[in-house]
Amino acid sequence: MNRPVFAPSRVASAAAEHPRQPFAVRFPGFVRRLPWLVLAILALFPLLAPALGLEYYVGFVRRLLIVAIAASSLNFILGYGGMAALGHAGFIGVGAYTVVALVEAGFSSAWLAWGGALVVAGLSAALIGAVSLRTRGVYFIMITLAFAQMLYYLAVSLRTYGGDDGYGLYTSLEMGAWLDGVHPDVFYWVVLAIAALVFAGFSRVAHSRYGHALRGIRDNETRMVALGYPVYRLKLAGFVAAGAVAGLAGGLLASHNAFVSPAIMHWTQSALLLVMVMLGGLGRRWGAPLGVALWLVLEEALKMHTDYWHWPLGVLLLLAVFHAPQGLAALFERREANR
Amino acid sequence: MSLFVAEGLVKRFGGLLATDHVDLAVERGEIHALIGPNGAGKSTLVNLISGLLPADAGRIVLDGVDLATLAPHQRVRHGLARCFQITSVFRNDSVRDNLLLAVQAQAGSSFRCLRRREAETALADAALALADRTGLGAVLDRPAGVLPHGMQKRLDLALALAAAPRLLLLDEPMAGMGPEDSVQMIELIGRLRSETAILLIEHDMDAVFRLADRISVLVYGRVLTSGDAAHVRGHAEVQSVYLGTEAHA
Repeated sequence: MNRPVFAPSRVASAAAEHPRQPFAVRFPGFVRRLPWLVLAILALFPLLAPALGLEYYVGFVRRLLIVAIAASSLNFILGYGGMAALGHAGFIGVGAYTVVALVEAGFSSAWLAWGGALVVAGLSAALIGAVSLRTRGVYFIMITLAFAQMLYYLAVSLRTYGGDDGYGLYTSLEMGAWLDGVHPDVFYWVVLAIAALVFAGFSRVAHSRYGHALRGIRDNETRMVALGYPVYRLKLAGFVAAGAVAGLAGGLLASHNAFVSPAIMHWTQSALLLVMVMLGGLGRRWGAPLGVALWLVLEEALKMHTDYWHWPLGVLLLLAVFHAPQGLAALFERREANR
Repeated sequence: MSLFVAEGLVKRFGGLLATDHVDLAVERGEIHALIGPNGAGKSTLVNLISGLLPADAGRIVLDGVDLATLAPHQRVRHGLARCFQITSVFRNDSVRDNLLLAVQAQAGSSFRCLRRREAETALADAALALADRTGLGAVLDRPAGVLPHGMQKRLDLALALAAAPRLLLLDEPMAGMGPEDSVQMIELIGRLRSETAILLIEHDMDAVFRLADRISVLVYGRVLTSGDAAHVRGHAEVQSVYLGTEAHA
């Protein structure tokens, strides 16, 4: 009987012979369908949660998805583009404060607010990137950090928007008559849809000409210049896209928390985002969502048992560094090369 | 008019005058070799011409266009490509992906971000053609970093050829090669003569005398003399500073 190469029985026997092979090689069909399964579970979660007594976690998963959007954008420039930006929370903050500014000015449309967050953060990223991308390595890390800190202190000084104390968004933004009122958790599905779109978008771009060029710059910038690539402009385009998406995440986070304070853009937030992406797998398709999910779920679980939840998370980081230096996503990928 | 002219090129590193008012010309269809002892400033000169280092003064004219004020990637658009003394390829990528990246730079915009690159058959065809020309067809799916040194040097050359250059800068293409690899590389470079003019930096005198139409000798950042093989061989000063002082004995 003729079987295709990846017929189940052959794969199963291969798995028995090589028990240490990556997960994806042993169960290719399952791993290929896993994303759709996860998406389906996420989509049904608000409907199932009440029956399971997990209503509280609908909000938690919503926050997780928003953070995953931001982390995906960081993974795009850091993992694929090699740009070690330590100021990503700055763009999240710009997005969140754009929402605040629009609300303060009397606008109430959610789409306008989030769209505005995307655009303003993108413009900020264009200005900051235009300067920062003229530097390399440690200087790039420091200059992106410096810009983010400037944004942080700008937010602290903005008395109109609450300064240090933050700003409460007392009425939720309107998503339009055809969405509002359909279901109390409609915002959850909107966030899920945006997260899925962002994720699919970045995955798509990673395999395009642009994605290949970006990885080429990460791996050997000098050669890319010598091949005739406009390296600076290519990097700037990626930086702006990532900044805009981070701003969108910031806008969503403002709606999610119904509150914005400068803490959202403190540099430790940028660092935390970096840690999550690295834990998940730098430059890997699933790196950002996996890292965010692992970190936030553990944080949530540990907080229930101890106030000293930083300790076990630190131990986890050490374990990850020694046993999964390529990140969690590496375990799910078929190929060694980071594609 | 010469295809390529460099005039009065100057580069200082602090107090060191690495390139001292260098004038250099390359004719169409010519292989022009640049030789000189270690530290003469040969690689610096290649970096100035390709634009990876900014020159302090001087003109760089290719086909009537002054390239001196252009960014390095723009110089490639004008027909100037280069190889690297220390092999510079994308080590983690397959040879095929290396070639695709080189071909992609010349064919349309690299800002295209929605279409999958695998779907672009024109790119794949161009990469294959490039592999055939440079004898890399058999190793297309191997990671560049695990190839033998000679193959990596050839890949480095292939990446430069993707730009279809009018002037090709080769910075020691035979460096670190065994005799068989060198012979193959000399053949390959010889075949390129019909497509592009070449400025060849090389320590392997055998290769230089076999390939070069003209030889310039660089010493302490200055061009000492320029001429055909016989002229350079017979030049007393060249013999003393470069080929050794036995000639005087």
